Amino acid sequence: MAGNVFRSEKLKVALAQIATCPGQISANLETHLGAIEQARQTQADLVVFPELSVSGYLLGHGVLELAYTLDDPRLTPLREASRHLGILVGLPLREEHGGISNAAVLMDGGNVVGVHRKLYLPTYGMFDEGRYFVPGRELSPLSWRGRQVGVLICEDAWHPSCASVLVNRGAELLIIVAGGPSEVGGDAFPQGMKRWHWIVGATAITTVTPTFFANRCGWEEGILFSGGSWAVDARGRTLGGPASATEPGVVTAEVDLAVARHHRTLAPIAQAERWELWQAEAERNRAFLARC
Amino acid sequence: MLSLPAVDVPLLASVLTGFLAEELRASGLSRYVLGLSGGLDSAVAAVLGVRAVGRDKVTCLALPGPSSSLESLAHAREVAELLGVPLGVVDLGPAAETLAGILGCRQDWVRFGNLMARLRMVALFDAARRDGALVLGTSNKSEILLGYSTLFGDQAASVHPLGDVWKTHVFALGEYLGVPAVILRKPPTADLWPGQTDAGELGFDYLEADPVLYYHHDQGLSEEELCARGFRKDLVSRVLATYRRNRFKWRPTVIARVSASCINVDRILPRNPRP
Repeated sequence: MAGNVFRSEKLKVALAQIATCPGQISANLETHLGAIEQARQTQADLVVFPELSVSGYLLGHGVLELAYTLDDPRLTPLREASRHLGILVGLPLREEHGGISNAAVLMDGGNVVGVHRKLYLPTYGMFDEGRYFVPGRELSPLSWRGRQVGVLICEDAWHPSCASVLVNRGAELLIIVAGGPSEVGGDAFPQGMKRWHWIVGATAITTVTPTFFANRCGWEEGILFSGGSWAVDARGRTLGGPASATEPGVVTAEVDLAVARHHRTLAPIAQAERWELWQAEAERNRAFLARC
Repeated sequence: MLSLPAVDVPLLASVLTGFLAEELRASGLSRYVLGLSGGLDSAVAAVLGVRAVGRDKVTCLALPGPSSSLESLAHAREVAELLGVPLGVVDLGPAAETLAGILGCRQDWVRFGNLMARLRMVALFDAARRDGALVLGTSNKSEILLGYSTLFGDQAASVHPLGDVWKTHVFALGEYLGVPAVILRKPPTADLWPGQTDAGELGFDYLEADPVLYYHHDQGLSEEELCARGFRKDLVSRVLATYRRNRFKWRPTVIARVSASCINVDRILPRNPRP
């Protein structure tokens, strides 16, 4: 057993921190292909793009004309590029039975091999996602090259239950893709970048699972996004990044999943989750709603 | 007493520079045009514009009228020279006098001031059309919240880099960006008639008003709560009255919705789509 613990299971992940423009599809695609090429040159196994990377984030009702199906010919260059490495991109996904999801789509070997649909659609303050998207209904890791990959989209990661469930379902690494807006405050880091730093670190530490965060940077429609793409190991130690708040770039980070598993053996925090407490709370909520 | 929270000025300057670069790129146009008044806001906007896209892609125009001060023009020249940008001067005096005569508004300083502000808008958008440019606006958050602007005049622009920046912080930006001290120190004015100042018209200055506006608009404190936290009642009443009275200027045009595809209501779409 001891030998298995330390048999290396390395995985190299590239975080493509890009700036996209809502509705400028060709330019966004070129940006993707450039970052994919950069990732290839580092021998990355997987390249991860931010939320709604293909279309841009602030689409409003533009999702109606910009939504994709998984076999959309506009995605062919990305599918083709995935013959060389795994690619996780964000796009508005037109659902078969109506509605559009905010989706993260995993491609590999020229095919789509997994999809996560955003569960929590922020609809407050500057956010209006509930107006344009339908929420996802499932939360489970994506199977990829024999690995279990937990994917969360932005607001999903603000609900710690999501990461806990994914790890409980066998996720060996967590990937958070975001279009995280920001404000300028009283110190040298955009406020959004600081918020995400806490969330990413806490997610990794509390689930004892390597966590990779790809955020967009730049501006869309007058909204500032604050980059800071970052990779941490299962104990919250930096593997790569954080990237700059403002500049595009590709951050490459290598993780050893065997070491991560060893960390979970030494600190079995996620395995100790008291699901019966969650169940009791869910039942209390159900009873409350039944009385309303 | 509550004060306005600090802002990191180098970061603010850096991100606003990025904003101007991206807006020009996304628009597909080639340059910015802005009116240099000789005041702080336009000086800061000009420096940010030059930092964002380079001095070769910023057109600066001075747009004096019959009652503009010579000092304002001199200060505009000083900023242009500092930036290494030529300053075009478009004398709007004859057009203003002619139009004011036709409209009969020469003796009404507010009407004539609005006319001047709108003629400046005409000149800037004409230059923008001629040069394939965006009009770089100079309004700041304090002015916009108070409605201290002329509808379709100084308020009209393609982009407002300072539109979410308190005037207090515009002073700090100006200092950081090297705006000449003489411009930083002089009282803010729209320079629409002799002796006009913002504080003279509003009845308070921006450094006083900004914390009141911040704790009401951003933090949601009521008039009573603001007074309980130590703000002077007369200041709070005056600032919030102006803030409420001029709110229509935040959204100057309202479209009557009679369909399920009303622009900016049922259909909010990206501004610069491209296949």
